[in-house]
Amino acid sequence: MGVMDLTEIIWCKHCNTVNYLDPYTFWNWKGKVKCAGCDRVYYVHIIQGFYYEGPKEMPPGEPYDIMPLYADKPLEGYESYKPGTPGRTRPYLCLPREIYLGKADKVKFSIRGRPVRGWAPQPPSSGLAGSQGFKWDIEKLSPDVWKEYQVKLRKGEVREW
Amino acid sequence: MREKVKPEIKFEEIPGPEELELEKMPYEEYCRKIFDPKKTFEKPEALKGIRWLSCTMYIFTPHSVSNLAELGAEVIKVEMPRAGDPMRHTSPFNEAYLYPLHDTRPFTGTGYGYFHANLNEYYISLDYHRPEAREIVYNLVRMSDGLTECYRPGTFHRWGIGYKQLCEINPRFIYVWGGGFGYGPKVFGGSYDILGQAQGGLASITGFHEDFGGHPVKHTNWVIDWYSGTMITVGVLAALYWRRKTGLGTMIEFSQVHCATRACGYGVPLYGRFGIVRQRWGNWDTQLCVHGIIRTGKSDYPNDPNPQLREEAKYVMVSAFQDEDFRELCYVIGRPDLWEKYKTHKERLKPEAQIEIYGALEQWASDKTRSEVVDILTDAGLLAMPVMNDKEVYECQHFRERGTIRWIEDPIFGDVLVHGGFSVGLLSETPRRVRWVWRPVGADNVRVYHELLGYPISQIKEWYDKGII
Amino acid sequence: MIITFEDFSWFGGGEMTKVEEIEIKDPKDVLRPRPWPVTPPATREEAKEIYKKRGPEAVDFVVWLEDILGYEKRFTKPEALTGIRVLDVGIWRLGNAFCSSLLAELGAEVIKIEPPTGDPLRYLTPFGREEYMLRDNVKGELCGLEFINEMRNKYSVTLNLEHPEGRELFKKLIPQVDVVIENYPPGYFDQLGIGYRQLSKINPRLIYCWIGILGQWGPMKDRVSKFGQWMLEPFGQAACSFIHNTGYPQDFLPRGSGGDPTRSAAWIADYAAGEQAAVNILAALWYREEVSGRGQFIEVTAAEALMDILDFDIAWYAFNRSIKARTGAWDPNLNQYAWNPCKDGYMMIGGQTDRLWYRIGMCISRDFPQFERLISEDPLLKEMAARNALEALIKTYTLTTMWLRNITRDVAEEKLMDYEIAAGPVMYLDEVAEYYHFKYRKFVDVIEDEYYGPILHCAPPLAYQHRTPARVKWMGRPLGIDNEHIYAKYLGIGPTQLRELKEKGII
Repeated sequence: MGVMDLTEIIWCKHCNTVNYLDPYTFWNWKGKVKCAGCDRVYYVHIIQGFYYEGPKEMPPGEPYDIMPLYADKPLEGYESYKPGTPGRTRPYLCLPREIYLGKADKVKFSIRGRPVRGWAPQPPSSGLAGSQGFKWDIEKLSPDVWKEYQVKLRKGEVREW
Repeated sequence: MREKVKPEIKFEEIPGPEELELEKMPYEEYCRKIFDPKKTFEKPEALKGIRWLSCTMYIFTPHSVSNLAELGAEVIKVEMPRAGDPMRHTSPFNEAYLYPLHDTRPFTGTGYGYFHANLNEYYISLDYHRPEAREIVYNLVRMSDGLTECYRPGTFHRWGIGYKQLCEINPRFIYVWGGGFGYGPKVFGGSYDILGQAQGGLASITGFHEDFGGHPVKHTNWVIDWYSGTMITVGVLAALYWRRKTGLGTMIEFSQVHCATRACGYGVPLYGRFGIVRQRWGNWDTQLCVHGIIRTGKSDYPNDPNPQLREEAKYVMVSAFQDEDFRELCYVIGRPDLWEKYKTHKERLKPEAQIEIYGALEQWASDKTRSEVVDILTDAGLLAMPVMNDKEVYECQHFRERGTIRWIEDPIFGDVLVHGGFSVGLLSETPRRVRWVWRPVGADNVRVYHELLGYPISQIKEWYDKGII
Repeated sequence: MIITFEDFSWFGGGEMTKVEEIEIKDPKDVLRPRPWPVTPPATREEAKEIYKKRGPEAVDFVVWLEDILGYEKRFTKPEALTGIRVLDVGIWRLGNAFCSSLLAELGAEVIKIEPPTGDPLRYLTPFGREEYMLRDNVKGELCGLEFINEMRNKYSVTLNLEHPEGRELFKKLIPQVDVVIENYPPGYFDQLGIGYRQLSKINPRLIYCWIGILGQWGPMKDRVSKFGQWMLEPFGQAACSFIHNTGYPQDFLPRGSGGDPTRSAAWIADYAAGEQAAVNILAALWYREEVSGRGQFIEVTAAEALMDILDFDIAWYAFNRSIKARTGAWDPNLNQYAWNPCKDGYMMIGGQTDRLWYRIGMCISRDFPQFERLISEDPLLKEMAARNALEALIKTYTLTTMWLRNITRDVAEEKLMDYEIAAGPVMYLDEVAEYYHFKYRKFVDVIEDEYYGPILHCAPPLAYQHRTPARVKWMGRPLGIDNEHIYAKYLGIGPTQLRELKEKGII
């Protein structure tokens, strides 16, 4: 057997990739899953979260029905394939934007073009015991953002809404 | 006889031109005037003078206090030194953060999950369980009206700052514990919003029925947290009212999970009387038909890069449950046979009828866009509305004019949009307001410990170095 | 099939215990009253045994807590809002009904004014099934459970406000009350001469609260259809992006089978509005008593009250044009914080901070060692905030479900509770009613209603207080049953006059 017998994941022993089969899509599912790490295809039939059949390695070149959303290689430094890696994982469609980051989006201006403190690092605080006032002196603390803001103002990119 | 004495009219009661105008103007204009969002900060606050301590985390208990702060109470939020409220580490898919000036962790921001639940408050840090902290808490309690906390039951008691101890220091003190379960066999069980939804039964009735392939659905963003937090505020205000009369404080022990069950409507009595267990019924209504959400064939933004616009702007809320409305709907969609078949509301409500009727509606809508469907039904005089997304709510003129969604300039974070606080009720005399969204951990340490409690600066410095604050 | 029920103590007198057999031969037999609880709740002594696990101090504390604010003592204590009088003139929706329920549970005298035909909510019943309605023992009229459930502690009075004489009677009530709650279409009361503008002249101390779906003013204000049909929930949910943001993504379930934006089964925006209305009313009352001596006009809407609850969703759009997408039972802001399928249903597990996160790991890897390797050791999942990335959610919950699928909800709950993890099963309402903690605490309780018999209901969450607990005194009320009492009390109208008014269609 080329796979470990665990439901919800397919651990492909050929390429040491763990394919995560999310518990909602695959809770009751039947079909062929392609491994994210290599070109092998596994047939699975899952009922209530348990393998009824499979995972059974299919002959090479067998067409597949679905790819996992995420896969990684825990034995090789947790190298991973994020959702939507072409040819490896299927894209996750229900996203809030066309761009998916999965890490902080360092924003300097709100969508109407005014400064918002959405980026790091910020200068250290000098207040006593962590105290801070009610003031953000952008011009002094972040001169580049202030300059950019002045440009935006001149160009009319700063809006009411 | 002397001439009749006229009833005395006080000068200040004679309506002036403005009042006369108010009386005569069309109703909508009148509402616009007395709820004018531009006047918010010219009007007094209802709870001016109340001071509350918020020893809270996450959303549920913080929001119960934030309600008071929006109404004008002065609220002091107490967080663990350096670390702060764990809610600061919540952000959707790890993407949206604001960054204050920092002391220790320059790359750790405060996530948008923390955004709306602690409005207008002053932020101090304090490690309650250090022996030095006890006296500080007592001093705060002496000059406050109440406290809300959310630690496991008995924790504050063990630290010497529970209700038993505090009501001796300040008999007028109102002490609120909010958590998952309260006294009883699961008293030490922890809780979250999602746990309330799950264990309270609300999840089991929300979503698509098993037979349609559905699972129980979680309500988005912590509905039970917010909703049960507000219920605490109701209790707090009632307790304050009682205290006006008697001078006595109280303790409220509040279970969040309980609140979720309270929102299950007829489900509990239905089970109690008949043993019938309410099940999920998807996007339709169990008590009204037609009154549900249908999927149309085409998005309103077929070419937009954002998948939420391109793929999801397809859903419409349609309501035509009264006979005339339903009849009209059937004619509009070209299915008068449905009207002939289901002439009474009782007939239409049967599950089989609902499946047929909504099926027919979706079929009719399958070659139309969402706005075409809404327009056709609205033009026919029926009630329909697109299922709006965040962008559409942001752009909705209605909420802008009413001031329920506003841009504010937060004093330290800059340009942010708020859709809480202002939105939970317009009050003509004492409007609710948002001054700032939140402040960094311990940002008001000097303001509170030095200026309010009179501790010397050197003392504050020492506490800070020792990690007490 | 024969089902044996024991312990009918709720049914009659306190001590009575009888055994009854219900033979189910016909669907109608299912509709006969059920016993509750099926098994008795834990005694105080049994509960103490559980507290003991936390040490003797914990026992003392919880016992003291129950002594000072136990549910059983609610009727031995005063009510916070005694002396406050409220007219609830709303129909159809739960916003006004829930708001006045909260005030009534806290002791306000709430009079629900219904049109002579009754609040249409009275006649709603799931799937139109009359067998799920209750018939009162005085007038013999059917009433729906949704209405009965939200009629707690309120009086029912009929009054025809479309009749000029009806409005005169209404105006006479106004000087005697503190609060009016109303929810008719925008401007309707004003047009009738009984809106805030007119009533505040009669009683400047009046607090007048309008509770709607979208607003009584503004470009998208509440509408009625051309046939006069009202706008009801879930329009509020639809208008604030709640529905858009709730439900399973189509990546997990096909559309039409749950992979769609989903409404709440409850009219949740109504509940949110009703509560905030109560908050605002009480704040206005405080301000009136403390400062101004005058009332004010309040407007609360379902859509906007729920918009507050959406936390940061619209603010997030303003941050970087993100439009919150639905994520099913997973929360994109915290990890772990979700329910996933298990052997006999769905199990919710929550623990976001490092302390709790690794404790969940310890608990699961005791049965399922790979969890440690795949989750706890993964560098991607070491940092609290980074665990909220989509890929982190997929990985965590897939692995967690591999553990859950082997065990039932109660086993999972017990195991996780041993590690002090906040965990709980997704429960159906029968399970809620029988849950050991809930029935001990009487989250749900039976009241023997004067008109409708025993009714299982959710007790007021504010019932657990030292001084002024909320309480349920009665549940339903047949239409107009309090006409004689209320009209005599406030307007000095006697029974014969009342009869005349009835004949004229005024009440």
